[in-house]
Amino acid sequence: MKNIYVWALILSALIFNHSAFSQSISGIITDELEMPLPGVSVYVKGSTLGTVTGFDGLYSLQVSAGDVTGDSLTLVFSYIGYSTQEYLFPVDPDARFTKNIILGEDVETLEEFVVVGYGVQRASDITGAVSTIRTNEIANLPVRRIDQALAGKAAGVQVNETTGQPGESVKVRIRGIGTINNNDPLYIIDGVPTKDVGGLLNPEDVESMTVLKDAASAAIYGSRAGNGVVIITTKKGVSKRPLISYNGYVGIQTAGNVTAMTNTNEYIDIFNEAAAADDRKPIPEDIYPQLANTDHMSSIFRPALITNHQLSFSGGSENSTYLLGGGYMNQEGIILNSGYERINFRINLTSSLAEKVTIGTNLTFAYSSQDIVGGSGDGFGGNGGSVVRYAFFRTPPLPTYNPDGSYVDLPNFEGYNRADQNTWFGDGYNPVGFANKYDWNAKIYRTFGNVFLSWDIIPGLIFRTDFGVDLSIFDEKRFNENWGTDGRINNPSSLSKGTGTDFTWNWTNSLTWQKTFNEKHNLSILVGTEAIKNNRHEQWGSDREFPDQSSYLRYLGNGLTLNKGANETEVGWSLLSAFGRINYNFDGRYLVEAVVRADGSSRFSEEHRWGVFYSGSFGWNIHNESFLSEANWLNQLKLRLSLGQTGNQEIGLYNYLSIVSPDYNYPFGGTVYNGYVISSLGNVNTTWETTTTYDIGLDLAFLDNRLTVITDYYWRYTSDMLVPVPLPPSGGDANPPFVNAGKVLNQGFEFELFWREIKNNFSYEIGGNLTFLTNEVKELGGGRPIAAGRVDNGVFSTLTQEGYPIGSFFMYEMVGIFQNELEVFSSPYQGPNIKPGDVKFKDVNGDNIIDENDRSHVGTAIPKMLYGLTFNFTFKNFDLSLFFQGAYGNSIYMQVNQDIEGFYRGFNVTKRFYDNHWTGEGSTNDYPRASWIGAANNKIASTRFLEPGGYFRVKNIALGYTVPFKETSRIQALRVYISVQNAYTFTRYPGLDPEMYDSNNLNEETVQNPDLASGIDWGTYPVPRIYTLGVNFNF
Amino acid sequence: MKYTIKTLLIILIAFGILSSGCQKMLDEELLGERSNLQFYQTAEDAELGLTGIYNALSFSFADNRIWVFGDVASDDAAKGGIAGDQADIGLIDDFNITTINGNLENVWIIYYEGISRANWLLDNIGDISMSQERKDEIIGEARFLRAYFYYWLTSIFGDIPVHLSVPTPAEMQKAATPYEIIFTDVIIPDLQDAVSKLPESAASGRATIYSAWGLLAKCHLFLQNWSQSENAAKQVIQSGHSMTNLYSDNFSLSTKDNPETVFSVQHLAGQDPWQGNRLNQWFDTRAYNGYGFNAPEQNFVDEFETTTEDVVDPRLDYTIGRSGQIWYDTIQFDSTWSPTGYLNKKYIQPLSEVPVESKADGQLNYQFMRYSEVLLIMAEALNEQGRSGEAVTYVNMVRTRARESYMYDPDLPGYPGIPDGLLPDITDTGKEGVRNAIRHERRVELGFEFHRYFDIIRYGPEYANKAFEEKPNFDYETNKFMPVPQIELDTNFEL
Repeated sequence: MKNIYVWALILSALIFNHSAFSQSISGIITDELEMPLPGVSVYVKGSTLGTVTGFDGLYSLQVSAGDVTGDSLTLVFSYIGYSTQEYLFPVDPDARFTKNIILGEDVETLEEFVVVGYGVQRASDITGAVSTIRTNEIANLPVRRIDQALAGKAAGVQVNETTGQPGESVKVRIRGIGTINNNDPLYIIDGVPTKDVGGLLNPEDVESMTVLKDAASAAIYGSRAGNGVVIITTKKGVSKRPLISYNGYVGIQTAGNVTAMTNTNEYIDIFNEAAAADDRKPIPEDIYPQLANTDHMSSIFRPALITNHQLSFSGGSENSTYLLGGGYMNQEGIILNSGYERINFRINLTSSLAEKVTIGTNLTFAYSSQDIVGGSGDGFGGNGGSVVRYAFFRTPPLPTYNPDGSYVDLPNFEGYNRADQNTWFGDGYNPVGFANKYDWNAKIYRTFGNVFLSWDIIPGLIFRTDFGVDLSIFDEKRFNENWGTDGRINNPSSLSKGTGTDFTWNWTNSLTWQKTFNEKHNLSILVGTEAIKNNRHEQWGSDREFPDQSSYLRYLGNGLTLNKGANETEVGWSLLSAFGRINYNFDGRYLVEAVVRADGSSRFSEEHRWGVFYSGSFGWNIHNESFLSEANWLNQLKLRLSLGQTGNQEIGLYNYLSIVSPDYNYPFGGTVYNGYVISSLGNVNTTWETTTTYDIGLDLAFLDNRLTVITDYYWRYTSDMLVPVPLPPSGGDANPPFVNAGKVLNQGFEFELFWREIKNNFSYEIGGNLTFLTNEVKELGGGRPIAAGRVDNGVFSTLTQEGYPIGSFFMYEMVGIFQNELEVFSSPYQGPNIKPGDVKFKDVNGDNIIDENDRSHVGTAIPKMLYGLTFNFTFKNFDLSLFFQGAYGNSIYMQVNQDIEGFYRGFNVTKRFYDNHWTGEGSTNDYPRASWIGAANNKIASTRFLEPGGYFRVKNIALGYTVPFKETSRIQALRVYISVQNAYTFTRYPGLDPEMYDSNNLNEETVQNPDLASGIDWGTYPVPRIYTLGVNFNF
Repeated sequence: MKYTIKTLLIILIAFGILSSGCQKMLDEELLGERSNLQFYQTAEDAELGLTGIYNALSFSFADNRIWVFGDVASDDAAKGGIAGDQADIGLIDDFNITTINGNLENVWIIYYEGISRANWLLDNIGDISMSQERKDEIIGEARFLRAYFYYWLTSIFGDIPVHLSVPTPAEMQKAATPYEIIFTDVIIPDLQDAVSKLPESAASGRATIYSAWGLLAKCHLFLQNWSQSENAAKQVIQSGHSMTNLYSDNFSLSTKDNPETVFSVQHLAGQDPWQGNRLNQWFDTRAYNGYGFNAPEQNFVDEFETTTEDVVDPRLDYTIGRSGQIWYDTIQFDSTWSPTGYLNKKYIQPLSEVPVESKADGQLNYQFMRYSEVLLIMAEALNEQGRSGEAVTYVNMVRTRARESYMYDPDLPGYPGIPDGLLPDITDTGKEGVRNAIRHERRVELGFEFHRYFDIIRYGPEYANKAFEEKPNFDYETNKFMPVPQIELDTNFEL
């Protein structure tokens, strides 16, 4: 409360404290693309009076009598990289002038500005490792989420889709995986922090995205910056005549690569082969006429429509700018009954409140609704199981529909008993029915944005205060319909329904001061404070046994059961911070930056609340040295060195407390009494995970800046990683506390290259980025290795262990196929029932017996190398852009192949297995014999199912034509384009999609983090191929 | 310029206020649940914490496997059930026991958790302001329960780590305390304190002063402190406890709480969370949705005395199901239900009480200690002190009640006449003879109440080797105690 009073004082001081002679001049300075230019120096010629434009390109000057010589005053607008302009104003005491200036680029010294934490910096002054993505690099990509657009655009950034299902979340990892806990980066959208950008922005809304990768650039965000920071700046209105802009596209999505499965004849063939091997009754010939030949995989897919319309109005008057935008997006899923819909509005306003005071707002409202079907997993985690998985399992003799139009469930041919039919044709669910019976919808209503005030107190000194909110209301409903033969599926029917709010506010204040001394010493200081508070409140209800399952009765209260469930949770966290940054630049040659941030977090006990994070960095613009002044071919040669610490506070909200749980009851004298116990132990000593990053970088530009290169090498060392070190059960059964005990090292090399050539009719750009990465767990605090990635009952496919990458695959290693009896007997003992044609495993420990001690680390889901390539060509009015993306050196565990190549029951098998399986000595050394008995050995989790995950994907091809209009036309620009997203993928991976990650099956895992169980394919919803036709229209 | 400097100062002060004055903002309260800091504040909290300790006694957890050690490991019972089902239990029956046997871990975790709950309460109750009288009782109950859990753990595992207050993670690295020391320095002091604090009577299920005296008497048997055992048993005998007229009343729903109960583990059906006795499912036949575990062996059946007219000790048919007898309701026992031909029935309720669908929601208690056991403890303590003449009177009290079943159970043939020569009183045949008579009596009287294995071990190698003649893997020194489970060995590096 006190603070508000203080601010009121400050405001009143401003409003009432005028001096006698006061000529005010203000305006906005933009570049030729009408983008505001921050940091432009504005000064009165022949005087010391001057200022610098703010974040929004706004300036205002208060000229007093002493500053004016003669009867006119000249303002000079100068900015490195742009041609300097002068403007003559008449001297008129007490007058107010507004002058907007457009600065033209000085082609000789092309300069770029980079948005950094709480400010902007000239690219040439940057000393940390940052990557910038401009609007033209991501515009028109048919992505639903802005974080998807980061894929392949910046070195060191890995983006994977959870699944291809519309509306699903995206996993972004900056410089590897630093912890077994939360690895998501922090996003700052127009100054407001969030961990989730889902649904908030379209690529068209974004002016630029800056990825802060090293500690030097990210330490200003302190305890939240350990996983890197992405700063997103949205487009603003500019002070000019109104601009109406429409961007829209329609598209068709199709499934890409579909795994070939056996048809009915082939299925009968291999079934009977296995039946003969196992002495089981074959499928009788007289049933053949009744059998269908269904391609279940293609029956779950459909060509799906995607549409997107975004309309915005922007413009401004002398002292205000506005942008109003809105849009609608609808994406059908390529799998039946899935889809995503979104409506969003956006308002960005700025206005001069007084001569030196600007206020404004950036506000977004978004509504999204996702119709969900099972996208991954086998249903063990309560996610229902993947539709794709059931389509793989379903055998081709089974039709989809009964003659009456209902779904076929268990095989039901005439004249045969059910047990035999189940054995022959399997009891997997009908995938079309399974998809269509899903009734699962998640809606999110989100309001996001801020109001701000910026005040140029004295020239060079700017105060800014921001108040931001992020309100997310979710509303989720899932009904599990009871269906199938004898109602065997989802018995009894059940409903769960939840709503909740997640509300975060932040209040950020900063002061920046810029000053140049003696023309060579450039100093810039930033100090600030920030307060952030979050509250999340959820309510869930459940009901079961619906006597009538009609869709209009699927509401709480309509079930039969007496024990209706209700559950409510409320949690919160808060963060209080002070931060500062000093930049010193000598003569554009030597650059020094130091950052400090102190964070206090509610997540720790009082003694451990405050953490201080430092970073320091140094840059040397060698090309500005006199000894290189002759080298005209060289435009930039900059060396960057940085070192610093950031933190990760995403570690559970109340880890320092021991939690008491109810419901440990007991009856005395026939009456139940409530009992409470300590159910999880706190650790009052828990504190931040700390990430220390060392970075060395080199920036180069050659040939009139046509070729630019940015390289970095880094060591990113996470210490104090929170690990739930298991405790002896003799100390009690409460969950063990988290202990700051683990260490992880990521190190890597990043390379970004950009080539730009502009001619009269023809220009082109080529951009490429390349990332090499290694990841290693250095310590787990003496705790046991963490098994994760459950792929079968009690079987885990990954082991996070000291000396190996996080989530390293850990399993038996297949060395071949036993070709004959002699080989079985002369090899290490694998069990009593091994026959020729069975899989042979490696005796890792050399004890001549194959058992669980022979499992070893066999690969990782973390790629050794990531790369992206962009080509943009413009010829007259045509433009063509190509975008490629790839990964190399990672593995994917194809869990679904345990079921569709493991062949141990009536599930369909892949054509690959059918064609190549072992049929006799020398036939193959890769695929075992067809035998359900042999499968007990052959389908054990092993490298048999571990596939190379590398790929090279033609991510986007777009061809556009800009319709020419006369300069006098009201239409400023009209461009039409066609594009293909995910056009083609080169990969050895045999599954539907190598660009997926999520096991999505985290139940029963000790640490519920997808990074510990990445790259497990359960038959995942694939990413679609999208053909679009789009229009950009400005008038 | 002047005003700007002034306002600058104001801004700096504002920064200062923001960063210092708002630190309270960082206090995020835990909502919807309580932390240890908010708990153990009031009398209600003390009761809630106490009930939480009792909760660990329950057989509503399938993992409460003390029967695997008390009965299956002994000469009384085989694993039962389907051959491959719960193979770990069979490995214990065969003394093929490794540290990864799941039954070890199950009991270890639950019973140590009970101790941990008691430690949390005992560490914190001191500062709670409440009636001193009830506070003392609660301390007495908590210490009795802690003694109970340690009694079971040390009986099963021998030398084990001991915690008498809530350990820090570092303190959880703890070496084992020897078996005898656990009795003398842990269990007995807890029980001695409990007898000074517990009330004479309480709601059924709660520990009373006699629960503590009874367990104290039993523990002294293990230490062969005969006179102290006698003294403790005497306290119970002089109380108002008595045996029920009918032995089987202890194992029937309507009479499960009765004057014979010294301490029992209580169950109640139809609760959420579960308070029912799962043993009703674990021990009943698969024909009625049971699992059929803990199947009595012929050796056990043969232990029961028969008259010359082949009338068997009626306690046999109150303890087990066998061919030719009614199992429950009107259902005849079918010997194919069990690999041994028998099933145990002390925890089994008829379908009229617990229908097939809710099989695991039984209501019977586990009778940890009945008055008849106290009589037999008294007999043993006296006999070992050379007072065999006094001892036989207590044994005969137990035998009398058994044979008088014929006076109270109308379903017995010949009711209400006691068959000739049934369970005659024993006479003083000297210390050795009476000792054997007491051992025999304990086995038949307390059959399937999970005590047999510990009695066998207590009697010493000679007795044990004879009892386990048919189990070639048994070695007294190796199998006297079960191995500490692997999950503890993996985490407690002091072991």
